[in-house]
Amino acid sequence: MAVLGSKKSKVSDEIPSSSMADIAFLLLIFFLVTTTFPKDKGLAIVLPEQAEETEVSQKNVLHIIINPSGMVNIKRGESEQEQQVRPNDVEAIWRQGFSENENLIAAVKTHPDAPYRFMVDVLDALQTAGSKKISLQLLEG
Amino acid sequence: MGLRSGGLQRKSKASQEIPSSSMADIAFLLLIFFMVSTVFQKDKKRDILWPEAEAAVKMDDKQKDILNIWVEANGDVWINDLYWAMEDVRDVVRPLFSENINLRISIRGDQNVPYNYIDLVQKEMQAAGALRVVFATELEQEITRERR
Repeated sequence: MAVLGSKKSKVSDEIPSSSMADIAFLLLIFFLVTTTFPKDKGLAIVLPEQAEETEVSQKNVLHIIINPSGMVNIKRGESEQEQQVRPNDVEAIWRQGFSENENLIAAVKTHPDAPYRFMVDVLDALQTAGSKKISLQLLEG
Repeated sequence: MGLRSGGLQRKSKASQEIPSSSMADIAFLLLIFFMVSTVFQKDKKRDILWPEAEAAVKMDDKQKDILNIWVEANGDVWINDLYWAMEDVRDVVRPLFSENINLRISIRGDQNVPYNYIDLVQKEMQAAGALRVVFATELEQEITRERR
């Protein structure tokens, strides 16, 4: 044993394979726990029942007319006066209208040819402003 | 050996320990099995430009409670990787809705699709009785942050 120059190491020169299973299970459990599925995001709304018509007093309605160009016409209740704004301005208009009248309903009327994104912009502005009463309609005539 | 022990005490040469060298293989097998069998979504993603919204909220429903209705820029409607004519959508959704009353409809419209088509889809949903609808969007802030 004590011969000079020929010390034999007792340490095995193989990589210990008994702990490989532990490492693999650790990885397995780690990925099982940390995996999160990407959740979809969106603007939630509940549609009215089919053929459900409710009579609403005109003074409680805020007409929001979306044109194909993306410009938005605002018409307050009974008045015939129209005001042209950008989709982002709807938020402030709703907040102002709602502070004056708590029963206000947003009637979003979109032109059939208007791109979907303008309607989403307006709906986004309304929901950001905390509007709960929204009616989505197709602009007729 | 056998003679000295009197024939009664045979020593087994097999090890009494459970072989641990194959444990790694079993673990990796499980790992690969779960990787392969995990299903993320029922239907394939379609190529649409998402509309963007700030007020968008996360849908907390389970994946099986969500039905995706894709509306492409030309107005084509796709449900579960199949193309449907607009009039047939109600007949597709109604049985799915009666199977699962918690079903929520995720309308995934292209940002440039004329609103006419989205309105028709909404009318189909009303006809099918599926009233809980989500207009799927991308979160506006996240997108602008990525662009910077």
